[in-house]
Amino acid sequence: MMTLNRTFIFYAVALVGFILLPQLIAVKYYLHLSVLALIWVIAAQGQNLIQGYTGYVSIVQAGFMGIGAYSTALMGIHSDMPVWLTITLAPFVTAFFALLTGYPSLRVKGHYFAIVTLAFNMVIFIVLMNFHELTQGEAGITGIPKPGAKDGLFNWRDRETYYYFVLIIAVLMTALAALIVRSRIGQTLIAIRQNEDLVGAIGIAAWKYKLFAFVISAMFGGLAGAIYAHYQSFINPEIFGVAQSLDAILAVIIGGSGTIAGPIIGAFFVVFLPEYLRFADSFRLILYGLVLVLATIFMPRGIVGVTTDLMAKWGRGKT
Amino acid sequence: MKAPVLKVDTLCKSFGGVHAIRDLSFEVREAEILGLIGPNGSGKSTTVNSLAGIFAITSGKITLGDAQIDGLPEYARVAQGLARTFQTASTFSEFTVREQVLLGSNVTRTSHPLSSVFGIGRKADEDAALEERVAHILEITNLKPVEHARVGTISSAQQRFLMIATALASDPKVILLDEPAAGLVSHERKTLSELIKSIRALGVSVLVIEHHMALIMDVSDRIVVLNFGQKIAEGTPEEIRNNPVVIDAYLGEAA
Repeated sequence: MMTLNRTFIFYAVALVGFILLPQLIAVKYYLHLSVLALIWVIAAQGQNLIQGYTGYVSIVQAGFMGIGAYSTALMGIHSDMPVWLTITLAPFVTAFFALLTGYPSLRVKGHYFAIVTLAFNMVIFIVLMNFHELTQGEAGITGIPKPGAKDGLFNWRDRETYYYFVLIIAVLMTALAALIVRSRIGQTLIAIRQNEDLVGAIGIAAWKYKLFAFVISAMFGGLAGAIYAHYQSFINPEIFGVAQSLDAILAVIIGGSGTIAGPIIGAFFVVFLPEYLRFADSFRLILYGLVLVLATIFMPRGIVGVTTDLMAKWGRGKT
Repeated sequence: MKAPVLKVDTLCKSFGGVHAIRDLSFEVREAEILGLIGPNGSGKSTTVNSLAGIFAITSGKITLGDAQIDGLPEYARVAQGLARTFQTASTFSEFTVREQVLLGSNVTRTSHPLSSVFGIGRKADEDAALEERVAHILEITNLKPVEHARVGTISSAQQRFLMIATALASDPKVILLDEPAAGLVSHERKTLSELIKSIRALGVSVLVIEHHMALIMDVSDRIVVLNFGQKIAEGTPEEIRNNPVVIDAYLGEAA
C-alpha cells in the first residue's frame, strides 16, 4: 500500500510538472524538443513492452513510426478523411505490417529476433526511399495538415496546443501500457522474459503473447509516427532508419527497462542529450556514444533502477 | 483394475539413425503412481520429452483420456491435462512463490486474457476459485511459509517443490515428474514421497522417473523398466525387485 501511494504521488507530481512545463520554458526551441520527447515517450512505451517486459530486443520501432507517419500522411492526401481519423487508423495499418513480420520472426529466439527486426527496418527504409510514386523518396512528403479546422477551437499551429495534445496521448498510452503489464497478459510477458521454456510447460502458448506484445508495441510506434507527421508537417525516410530504432532501445535501457517510468525518462534523455552536447560540435556524436556506453555499463537497470536503489538505501538509513 | 488415463502405444523416437525409444507401450492408470526406471541412456528422458511434446515422435500413439495428444504442441497438452516438471529446477526467479503457482493455474481459466487488462468480463468467482486452489496447493507442497518470498531466494529443495506445485496448479489428469529427488537430502526425499502420495490422493496420476531406488520402490504402485530404449519389465515394486532381467540390466545383485 505504501509503495502504491508513493508511486501515485510520483506520477501526480510528474503530471503537474508536465502540465506546467510550457509556462516554465522561455526558449521556444525547448518546447519543440519537449513535444518531440513526448512523441518519443509513446514510441518508447511500446518498445518497452516487447524489449523491457517480454525480453525481446526489437530493432524496428522507428520503422514502425515511419509506417504510421506515412500512412496517416498518404491517407490524408489520397482521401477526404479528417486528420483525427487518419491518426487513429495509422496504428492499425502499422499493426497489419507488424503481424506479417512478427508471425515468422517470433519463431526465432533472442539475437536472431533482433537481426530479423533489424532487417525489417532496413526494408521499410529502402521502400520509403525508393517507392517514389507513393512516398516521393528522399524528398519526402510536405504540407501534411495539422489536426483541426482552420478557424477551429484550438490553434494547432501554436506549439503549446500541440504540446498539450501530445501530452494527453502520451499519458493515455502510458496508462494503457501500465494496464497491460499489470494484467494477466503482462504477467505472462514478464514470465516469458524470465523463462520461456517454462511458460510453454505450464500450458501457455508463448508465441501468441509474444506476437501480442510485438503488435501492440508496433501500434504505439505507429501512433507516435502519425503524431510526429502532423506535428512537423514534413516527413522523409531519414528519421525512420535503424539509428532511430536504436534510440528507442536506448530510451528504454537508459530510463529503466521493464518499468513504466523508465521510457518517459529515457525518451527525454535521448531527445535532449544530443542537444546539450551541441557545444562539443563535431565531437557531439562521439560524446553521445560515450555517455550511452557508460550509462549502460554503470546503470544497467537504468535511471529508474538507480533511483529506486538510492531511495531504498535512504529509507533504510532513516529507520 | 483401474481405467488407463495416459496410454503410450508402440512409441518410437529416433534421432537420425539412433533409436532412442523402440516400440514402447505402457499405460498410466487412474490415480496411480507409475515409476519409470532404467540405466542412463535407456530412454527415460526421451520418453518424458516425447510425452510432454518437446520432441515430435517418430511413430506410435499417445492418448490422454479420450484424446490423442501426440500431434499437439507442448502447451496444448497441458490444457488437455498433462503437466510436467524438469530435471533441473526451472522457475520464474523474479516472481513470488505464490505468483508463480497462480500463473501455473491460468491454463484452467475460461475468461479471456484481455479481460484482465480493462477488468471487463472478469470473472470474480473464477479468481476466487483459483486463489483457493493455489492456497491448497501451497499447503500440501509445504510452500505456505514462503509464499510471498521471491522464487530466486528460496532453497533449491523448495524450488523443486515449487515446480511440482506449479504443475499441479494446471489441474492435471497426469503429472510427469522428471527426477524430482535430484539434489534432495534424506529428509527432503521423505517429504517428497509423502507429497507424491498426496498427489495420488487428489485423484491425479503420477508418472515418476527417478534414479533413487528407495524412493521409487516406496511410492510406486507399478514400475516400468527401460533398457536401450525398450521396455524390459513391468510390474509391482516387489516383482521388479526380484526380476532377474532387471537385476542384470540395472539394479545389480545388491538390490
